[in-house]
Amino acid sequence: MIAQELLGPAVLVLFVGLILGFAMLGRRWPAVFRPLHGLEALGAAIERAVEAGERVHLSLGTGSVTGADSAPAFAGLAMLSRVAAATAMSDRPVVVTAGDGAMAVLAQDTLRSAYDRARAQDRFQSTSGRMLAPTPFSYAAALPTVLANEDVSVHMLIGSFGSEVALAADFGERQRAFVLAGTDDIQSQALLYVTADHPLIGEEVFAGGAYLNVGPLHRASLRAEDLLRTLIVASILIGTVLRTLGDLV
Amino acid sequence: MRLRLSLLWAAVASAVGLLVLAGFFIQTPILIALGGSLVGLAVLLAGVALLLGLYNLLSVHLRKISLQERGWPYSALLVLSLLGTLVLGVFFGPDNPVALVLFNSFQLPAEASLMALLAVTLTLAGFRLISRRRDLLSFVFVGVALLVLLGTGPWPSGETSDTYLLIIDVRNWLAQVWAAGGARGILLGVALGAAATGLRVLLAADRPYGE
Repeated sequence: MIAQELLGPAVLVLFVGLILGFAMLGRRWPAVFRPLHGLEALGAAIERAVEAGERVHLSLGTGSVTGADSAPAFAGLAMLSRVAAATAMSDRPVVVTAGDGAMAVLAQDTLRSAYDRARAQDRFQSTSGRMLAPTPFSYAAALPTVLANEDVSVHMLIGSFGSEVALAADFGERQRAFVLAGTDDIQSQALLYVTADHPLIGEEVFAGGAYLNVGPLHRASLRAEDLLRTLIVASILIGTVLRTLGDLV
Repeated sequence: MRLRLSLLWAAVASAVGLLVLAGFFIQTPILIALGGSLVGLAVLLAGVALLLGLYNLLSVHLRKISLQERGWPYSALLVLSLLGTLVLGVFFGPDNPVALVLFNSFQLPAEASLMALLAVTLTLAGFRLISRRRDLLSFVFVGVALLVLLGTGPWPSGETSDTYLLIIDVRNWLAQVWAAGGARGILLGVALGAAATGLRVLLAADRPYGE
């Protein structure tokens, strides 16, 4: 019983240790990640949008900050800092929408910090981080207006979504935008596989920061995730074999 | 000065996060009470943020109306509807008959229509997938989706035939073995990714609250 209670904190400490360890090893032992077409093509798509005077849109989803489903939106905010820096010199900087007021406030703070770092404070507008609508389907219904009025050519959906994500991605496809979309919900991921040009499946939604070089801890955490997943899969396999052998004996 | 403030916010955010996390793992009354109070405070702040979000929504659309940008009449309609329902809700409560009629006559049918639109969108997207990404995975995806659809929905006739029973068996095998196994694998990755994202905020590597 005590061992079970200690398992959670032990895994957490191991996770933190691995992240910090990989961050320290990062320079001597650089990470090599498998190619993810969507995230690799994103940089070129943003460059094209900046050159054409078109806008990048990032949706942080319809989840709330206080909900259990806030993690993908936080991953989206990490990507936003990089995307905002890349579009800071554009005539039409990135626009961010969310279905939650608190998430819109966090998006504004992230944009302000990114423009400060890029020494482009004058680019910041409080209306660049918006709350579109509080319910999932009203949020999806409001998206086409944003995409059309803001001349969006890069449509990123990185956050928590339900089935409305299929409509959200499809609106981007109809606008002929570059659509990169990922969420944490498995059923919504299946919908994205069909509707989005560049779907992010599974944990790929959390890997954006590492692929966009947001910081060393992003790359380190991705390596830690991979190692922990290998350990968990190995323990499941060993457990299955031992259980099967135990039943046979 | 600015750097010091940035460090202070990071320290406060990390300390609060660690306290709530500690209360989750170590079940002592003080930590549980402290964690509960902090989460309650966060919910309260999220409520205030909703008001800020509404203000933000109003300012975006009022700007569009004042500049007469493309689609400004829709913005005007949105502002009027927002203010109207806000006044109704604040002064007469969310359960008053007029608010309920408005909700049942406008919001509910509009969202139900979007849900219906989703079915059409997915069917078209399925065809588009085959024309756009002609690889083995896309064909398998659409083939499995059709099989599951056939094995789940009612048939106009022949529900006792061997073909129908075979399709139901195949559907169950696909859903219970392949789909469930794959979903568990994906969930494992999502859980680890979510935990890593949370830990990066705790370690102040990600600072969504600004710098």
